[in-house]
Amino acid sequence: MISRHGTPEHLPVRPFVALVALAVSVATFLWAGTAFAQASAAWPRVSPITIVINQSPWFGGFSKVVEAYEKETGNKVTLDVNPFAGSGEKQRNSVRSKEGQFDILVMNSAWLAEFYHGGFLTPLNTIDPAFKLDPQVMSYDDTGYWDAARKSNNAKTGVVYGVPINGNIQVLYYRADLYEKAGLKVPQTWEELAANAKALNSPPNVYGMVQRGARSASDISYDWMPYLHSHNGAIFKDEKAGDFTVTINSPEARQALDVYVNLAKTVGPPNPGSYGQAQVIQALLTGKAAHATPVIAAWPQLDDATKSAVVGKVNVAVLPHGPGGRTTPTLGHFIGGIPNNIPKDRQVAALAFLRWFQSYDAQVKYAQTGQPPIRSDVYAAAFMKTPEYRWSPAVLASLPNAKMMYTVPEGPQIASVLELRLNQAVLGEKTTADALNTAAAEIHDLMQKAGYKTARLPPLK
Amino acid sequence: MRGTADRASAKAADRWRFYTLAPALAVYLLLALLPIVNLATMSVHDIHWQQGAARWTLVGMKHYAELPRDVLVRAGLANTALFALIAVTAEMLIGFALALFVSRIAVGRVLYRTIFLLPILLPGIVIGAIWKLMYNPDFGVINQLLHLLGLPGFDWLGSGSLAFLSVIIVDVWHWTPFVFLLLLAGLETLPQDIHEAAMLDGASAWQELRDVTIPMMVPILVMTLAFRLIVSFKVFDEVYLLTGGGPGTATEVLSFTIYRRFFTEDRMGYGSAISVIALFLLTLVIVLFMGMARRRMHAH
Amino acid sequence: MANVRWGRLGMHAVLALGALVVILPVVWIAFAAFKTQIALLRGDLVFTPYLGNFEELLFSKASDYPANFLSSAWVASVSTAMVLLIATLAAYSMYRLRWPSWVPALVLMGSLVFHMIPPITLVGPWYVMFRSIGWDSTYTALVLTHVALNLPIGIAVMSVFVRDIPIEIEESARLDGSSTPQMLWHIVFPLVRPGLAATGILVFVFSWNEFAVALNLTSRQTATVPVAIAKFAQEYEIKNGVMAAGALLSIIPAVLLLLFAQRHIVKGLTAGTGK
Repeated sequence: MISRHGTPEHLPVRPFVALVALAVSVATFLWAGTAFAQASAAWPRVSPITIVINQSPWFGGFSKVVEAYEKETGNKVTLDVNPFAGSGEKQRNSVRSKEGQFDILVMNSAWLAEFYHGGFLTPLNTIDPAFKLDPQVMSYDDTGYWDAARKSNNAKTGVVYGVPINGNIQVLYYRADLYEKAGLKVPQTWEELAANAKALNSPPNVYGMVQRGARSASDISYDWMPYLHSHNGAIFKDEKAGDFTVTINSPEARQALDVYVNLAKTVGPPNPGSYGQAQVIQALLTGKAAHATPVIAAWPQLDDATKSAVVGKVNVAVLPHGPGGRTTPTLGHFIGGIPNNIPKDRQVAALAFLRWFQSYDAQVKYAQTGQPPIRSDVYAAAFMKTPEYRWSPAVLASLPNAKMMYTVPEGPQIASVLELRLNQAVLGEKTTADALNTAAAEIHDLMQKAGYKTARLPPLK
Repeated sequence: MRGTADRASAKAADRWRFYTLAPALAVYLLLALLPIVNLATMSVHDIHWQQGAARWTLVGMKHYAELPRDVLVRAGLANTALFALIAVTAEMLIGFALALFVSRIAVGRVLYRTIFLLPILLPGIVIGAIWKLMYNPDFGVINQLLHLLGLPGFDWLGSGSLAFLSVIIVDVWHWTPFVFLLLLAGLETLPQDIHEAAMLDGASAWQELRDVTIPMMVPILVMTLAFRLIVSFKVFDEVYLLTGGGPGTATEVLSFTIYRRFFTEDRMGYGSAISVIALFLLTLVIVLFMGMARRRMHAH
Repeated sequence: MANVRWGRLGMHAVLALGALVVILPVVWIAFAAFKTQIALLRGDLVFTPYLGNFEELLFSKASDYPANFLSSAWVASVSTAMVLLIATLAAYSMYRLRWPSWVPALVLMGSLVFHMIPPITLVGPWYVMFRSIGWDSTYTALVLTHVALNLPIGIAVMSVFVRDIPIEIEESARLDGSSTPQMLWHIVFPLVRPGLAATGILVFVFSWNEFAVALNLTSRQTATVPVAIAKFAQEYEIKNGVMAAGALLSIIPAVLLLLFAQRHIVKGLTAGTGK
């Protein structure tokens, strides 16, 4: 096991430096502890920390909040900013080395499961038994909690491991100006969406609906997931209970894929199978898309005149749902966690930041930079009722239903399968039934190899 | 007296023989051999992380046995081979022609040299992003130009075989400068008098090229071709931003498959097995190619 | 004679066409650097120049471009110098210092095989190695890995040029009593200058543009230009204009190097050495 106090074996080269560092860190720790005990209102003074994070449209807002933290508490925070995929790689490298480089990992939902299952994160209560997620912090499908015994994200049986950093989820973007002109109503179901898209479809100037049909690490599978879930379908029968029977080729799933492919064929651009996230957002920005379902993180560009031809013309709504289902956006959010392999004083310092970050005041500052806050009470603040925050009611209404896409570390492998097979369905290389049957067989195979309790449905015809 | 001096200098020569090769060997031993051994070891293991520690399970040839059934590996291998063949052939021909012409003209050499090298100076990620915009069917500059000439536009990255061709075009644009630069340097070191003598003998430009220039260029041609082949097998940046391997598996290339399996899916064992097989196949190609080239050289 | 003139004209025509194909996308990138994102996305041919991309690149808090630029300059220069030196020494050793023939064959083959490995699979082991001795996030580690990555091409190219040195020149220098270091300094390095210049440009550019290793072995302060530029290719917003601006500035050192190195890729270097 890795020692938390930096025993000399970590620093065999310069024992003297190690001793000094040890002494300093212990002193800082003790001092931080006493300072914390004395301070009732003020925030404790703690060791400097490094947060590893990816560059993103919301990074500017986050760094402002970090600056406010430094000013308010006098604590020092270094931000290691990376490209999106690069951030995941660096976090992986860090937690797998003997002593970690980073103190707070800002993990995307795409790689969160790997870090939970790998046992790289520290339960926050081992750092401070009194720490709790604030009741106002939204649940994000319980992804801040982890039940190590059952290997699942569960707030009731698990303990708290992370604090949400950014609540990125899918919403329906639509052209409010065109809606007004055509006298349309915001759709509740995919069927209504299809009708509205058809009414606004006038290629090549405007496409009724632009989807992320491309194949990559995560494009079409992420884009299609709300269709699947809101048709009462799912990849597995009951993940939370450990039943990994593959249900991706259920009749519900086929219906969801038929709806998706039909939209692509009838009201989409000529080659929907080559539209990745960037192209979808580009279509929105240039006014080519009447509807699209990207994440809320794409929002700030739309009201920026240097980036958008449709300033003030786009609005967002809760995603539509299928017959008998309920709207289910997919989480693309970020959780801040603390790794095991760093010294205790840095863990304490990291937790101090997370505790501050979830406070009401910090979240107000965060929201004032245009970002969706992680606390529900901030959505009630007066400044969030202005037109530039017109996205906020839809986000708030969507969050309780938002679902984590993969809770197993095999998620990226499942995504690989789905990306290819769904893309082939959109391209017309496979029928929807064939695509789903093939995907089901492949997912079943990989889950079986990984040792899960799994089974298959009879193939679709 | 004479004898001891000779022996001393022979000893010094021996020392220098070692000193001059040692730095290269040191770099290879420390930074190359270690990762290769690591890769081979991983390829016969399953590696899982539990409670913050790696669990290595020996699985023998399991990963290798799985390879033939992997759709992406199959598509990646076929596409990469075809890609390398077409792109490298085009680059060698164009690069050699440009180098030859630049070496034979009197006016504008410096200008051409500088221009032809521009693409290789740009970071791959920018090339991918910018060509993606240029290929855009609605707003891209390429279709705009075609429309200007009264021609219809294409959806360059939208359909399978066209997307494959579009990726090759970008690769040729990006990498021809590499060929151009090395061959130009090779041409410049050829003794000038031989070329002049051939011209005075009344040889036609074509005869001179075939009988004098190309035979003398064989070593650098072979070396350039070998390197271009190797690098083209590693093609990644362009594909990553242009197509992500799609549509379908039309532009899936091997290094991209490795990246996905090894990194994105965190299957270090399986990903290593793909790498090892790719290494093996590529070594085979290069050895065959070198053997052929050597026989050719001896024939001359 | 008329034939020759037509030949010249044909060559110029081909070269001009080639130059056009090469330069149009580059010009387009240069324009992109001065466009707003929306002008760029819509492919506007007429646009008002916009400096926001450069502002964001150079002055925004989220960007460390100027610092990263200096990192790149340092890493690329040092690693290029090391590659040229190590590779030329090795090439000379292998082909002119009477090693048994399997030695050069093995070194060359080994370096080719090493060159075939996608760098992305090397990153993990390298990180573990350097982290364990506390060298992660240092320039030393990045320089060493770039030397390793580019040494194969250095050795291969320099071998070709070293083998082209006429053996007679060397023999006469030996008879004059030159030691190996003197020989290297006065004969070998001057004679392979075209090779050094060409290899130097390539290695410098490869090091300058290398991404996967630089990303993982650096921290915010020691990151290099491609890492800085890649930050603008975000998941939810690809800032093409800023990337173009970054690319435009990033090719300046290589272009300067190229113009400088031109003087060394000139004809007849061998002519002056009494051949």
